Amino acid sequence: MLIAAALCPAPPLLARELTGADPVLPELREACREAVDELALAGADVIVVVGVAAEQRTFDPRARLDLSAYAPALGDRAAGGSPVDSPLPLSVGLGARLLDDAGYDGRRRLQSVGAGTPPMACAALGARVAAAAPEVALLVMADGSARRSRRAPGYLDVRAEPFDAEVGRAILAGDMPALLALDDTLAAELLATGRPAWQVLAGATAGRRPSCVVRYSDDPFGVAYLVASLSLG
Amino acid sequence: MSAGGPHPAGRSASHGVLRLGRRAFPPGQPLVMAIVNRTPDSFFQPGATWAEPAAIERVHQAVAEGADVIDVGGIPAAPGAEVDVAEEIRRTAGFIAAVRSSYPDVVISVDTWRHETGRAACESGADLLNDSWGGFDGQLAEVAAEFGAGLVCAHVGRQQPRTRPFRVSYPDVVADVLAQTQALARRALQAGVQPDRIVLDPAHDFGKNTWHSLEVTRRLAELTDTGWPVLVSLSNKDFVGETLDLPPEHRLPGTLAATAVCAWHGARIFRVHQVRETRQVVDMVATIRGDRPPARAVRGLA
Repeated sequence: MLIAAALCPAPPLLARELTGADPVLPELREACREAVDELALAGADVIVVVGVAAEQRTFDPRARLDLSAYAPALGDRAAGGSPVDSPLPLSVGLGARLLDDAGYDGRRRLQSVGAGTPPMACAALGARVAAAAPEVALLVMADGSARRSRRAPGYLDVRAEPFDAEVGRAILAGDMPALLALDDTLAAELLATGRPAWQVLAGATAGRRPSCVVRYSDDPFGVAYLVASLSLG
Repeated sequence: MSAGGPHPAGRSASHGVLRLGRRAFPPGQPLVMAIVNRTPDSFFQPGATWAEPAAIERVHQAVAEGADVIDVGGIPAAPGAEVDVAEEIRRTAGFIAAVRSSYPDVVISVDTWRHETGRAACESGADLLNDSWGGFDGQLAEVAAEFGAGLVCAHVGRQQPRTRPFRVSYPDVVADVLAQTQALARRALQAGVQPDRIVLDPAHDFGKNTWHSLEVTRRLAELTDTGWPVLVSLSNKDFVGETLDLPPEHRLPGTLAATAVCAWHGARIFRVHQVRETRQVVDMVATIRGDRPPARAVRGLA
């Protein structure tokens, strides 16, 4: 059963090494750190990292992100000493790093969900994930639209702001049915890559209404980043 | 930030820390040395910093633009009016003391071949003896040792101070550079100069025609591969001017191109007139090499 969740975005720049001399968004990293610290303190039997990737699968819990895919010059330093061959996809890998940074050494499960997974399939995955142990905590790595301004990676789409506002409202209100009702086609058009991960979260709550604290909500580079802590109790 | 494993350039990863004055510079951190001539007749912008207020102003500007080292010289490299020891000291020592009082931590170098001038400079606060005439006065190394100062070991072939190359030839100019600079470094060690304060300089244009200076630039990795820190002095020199057929005031782009090549090959100190442009070039090359992170990277990472 799900007892807590943390929501963090998954931009590469969350990895401090990638931004060069300038920390760029220290306040975003700090918000993520606080959310993950609180998640670890919830004392669940397992923390499941959920992130969107090309396909749905689980990964060896020892696997890590290979930053050299983003910055070849970082070379060996970036691999984080991953003891397994296949590196993690970005979203799951950043989640694993957040757990490492929080000093979390309990049980972890690393789960990706496919970018094109329909909402009901996401919800079903969430229900299975929540049943993995008596007490389960989720670290959901998900981003809003990347089309929020003319300088955004996906340029401006005027539909982005109302879409992200609805996501933010639903999360803050614990309105999980509203997350399940998100239009997956629209989300894809808006480059709101986090949509399947939010819907996994919604499925994992099994109809209960979490309470929520938002720690960060902004779009400094035209991508909506949301950091939040959710508890079900 | 330093790369682990073989260097991406495959060159010169073996340098250690370079100590100058109170400062310690790790490998991969290029230093810009700003030329401040206390002369009325140097080849580039002659007399621009002959007056002390103008010279001090140049120091302020150089430090603000990112210079790590101020190199003070009282005699032009080219032949011309005689400058005796007393006059050379008069031009340099008091000025060095003034720079030192304004900048307690900046590295100060004196460009001289004379040990008497080197001693006066060290007593005034200099940290590095830039012996650009390649060990002509052997006692300069002893002065460096006595004061705990650094020493630049330059290659000048068989040139005497303030003479121009006349039909110079080498079976292999780079081999000659390697032999002469390393012999000077050994002599410095024997004199008691601290090993992490010794620098090699192939001395472009000194005892060299343009072909020689181009060859030294092309093969600079052979010098950096020795493990000694390497200084290059390229700024607006004749080999740049002859290569591009340009007078001194138009040699900055050519100078910066040669600077980039030497930086790629692992040179650590760049002696220049134009600090701001050089700082940008050496920082850019250091970052391409993987020795320095970008100032701020967000493109494609949001």
